Amino acid sequence: MTELSDELLVAYVDGQLARAQTKAVEKVLKQDEVIARRVDALKEAHSRFENAFEAILAGELNEITLRADPYVRTTEPVAAQAKGKPIASVVLIAILAALAGYAVPVVLPELTPVRYVLPKQTARLPSSWQDDVARMQSLLTRSSLEVGLTSQGNRDLVGFELAQAIGPSLKVPNLDPQGLKLIRGQLLQYRGKPLGQILYLGTRGAPVALYALPSDRTSEPEFSMAGDVGMVSWSEDGISYLLAAQADEDFLVRTAEKIRHEPLDEIPLPPPPSVSQPTTPTTAESGVTSALPESSSNAPTVSPSPLIAPTSPAPPPPN
Amino acid sequence: MIEVGQNHDSFRQGLVILLPRLKRFADVLIGDKQDGTALLGRALKRMLAEQYRYQRGTPLDRWAFAEIYRLWLHELRDHAEPMRQAKVETGFDLLLYPEELVDDVTPDFLGQLPPQQRSALLLVYGEGFDYEDAGRVLDCSVDAVASRLIRASASLADRLGEGWQVASSATVETLYPKGSQHDRTQ
Repeated sequence: MTELSDELLVAYVDGQLARAQTKAVEKVLKQDEVIARRVDALKEAHSRFENAFEAILAGELNEITLRADPYVRTTEPVAAQAKGKPIASVVLIAILAALAGYAVPVVLPELTPVRYVLPKQTARLPSSWQDDVARMQSLLTRSSLEVGLTSQGNRDLVGFELAQAIGPSLKVPNLDPQGLKLIRGQLLQYRGKPLGQILYLGTRGAPVALYALPSDRTSEPEFSMAGDVGMVSWSEDGISYLLAAQADEDFLVRTAEKIRHEPLDEIPLPPPPSVSQPTTPTTAESGVTSALPESSSNAPTVSPSPLIAPTSPAPPPPN
Repeated sequence: MIEVGQNHDSFRQGLVILLPRLKRFADVLIGDKQDGTALLGRALKRMLAEQYRYQRGTPLDRWAFAEIYRLWLHELRDHAEPMRQAKVETGFDLLLYPEELVDDVTPDFLGQLPPQQRSALLLVYGEGFDYEDAGRVLDCSVDAVASRLIRASASLADRLGEGWQVASSATVETLYPKGSQHDRTQ
């Protein structure tokens, strides 16, 4: 019989061993029935701990229904009353409602006794698009970008395609100075609106994503965290941006500032005009020439794609 | 630029989102819903009043768990009877929902463990933290976390399997081993 300590076996069950050690343990497991039974028992213990903690979280989710409203304060300790323990819930709700001080109803959550689909990171609050995007961002890995067969590394092409859907003022920034290479862009959809996702990758670390959603708001950058994902969101020129990555605040804020202050791409100047051709005030002031046709003169003066000029007028900005 | 007011709102909203998980942590730490609620209330009040201590960029959940644990430890040390205060007086299974979906052995087993060991189990098996993060929350080394997990896992495995009669190491670490003065007074 091979001697393997519980210390090693628990580390194996918890997935804490290095690959070589894991293989070595697995080799022993195939040959030693006693050790294999011990590992099964440890796995069973592990599973029971997980089940017990999930059941506790299900209880918390079932119990906490929080409404904090300045005019109507109601409490709905649904499961607590059923379980004969309403006091704890009422106390919690009263404390938290006062502490949270929300001016809008906050409901934690519509609770059903489903114990197998419990969120690890967040409760089921009404979510903003930034929160939803952060969840999606957490699914991205380096390999999901590295193995892409249809990657579009062309910034101009990406900008052109996304601007068609999101709006002509869309920025597809050049983040090479930040050490971030553009990998690809793609058009997603958020509640019926086009959502642009522009992905960058540095020499190391997690991917960095810039999301863009049409919006009629204007707001200053704000940093927040959702799980391990840091986010900076702001709105300008009819587009809401969200810069998201598993990175620290300083890096994200600096990168967001860079994007905000980055001018739209300059388009190669056409051949010098003849003497009799006056330059329009707009181009003279900005120093930028638009490749857009005359009919789109109400749109921003710069095409998002300096190399691929649109053949038709840019669509009006979405509402 | 980032404004303090906006950050304050984000901080507060972050805590609200975390509430069920923070409540579970407080309940498991104390072993009682009502006391867990009270502890969480005091901890949240302190976090909001002293949020300047939160360093931006730190995962809020780790920070909040550590704050609850720190407050619990602080109050425990100030308590006239810290050992009695740390004991789970009521059935641990009262924390479970729905109770029937969990076996009979595990809640009782968890209830007999010291709070620090229960918390380590919760952070790693319930929250999915790695040993290092769990150690940061519980203000102990990675080895201490690993040791707590090994003792608890091996002990429960013994109880579930053939070695159930053998005195488990987790029992040794229990605050009130069978036969102790406290045990007899209960």
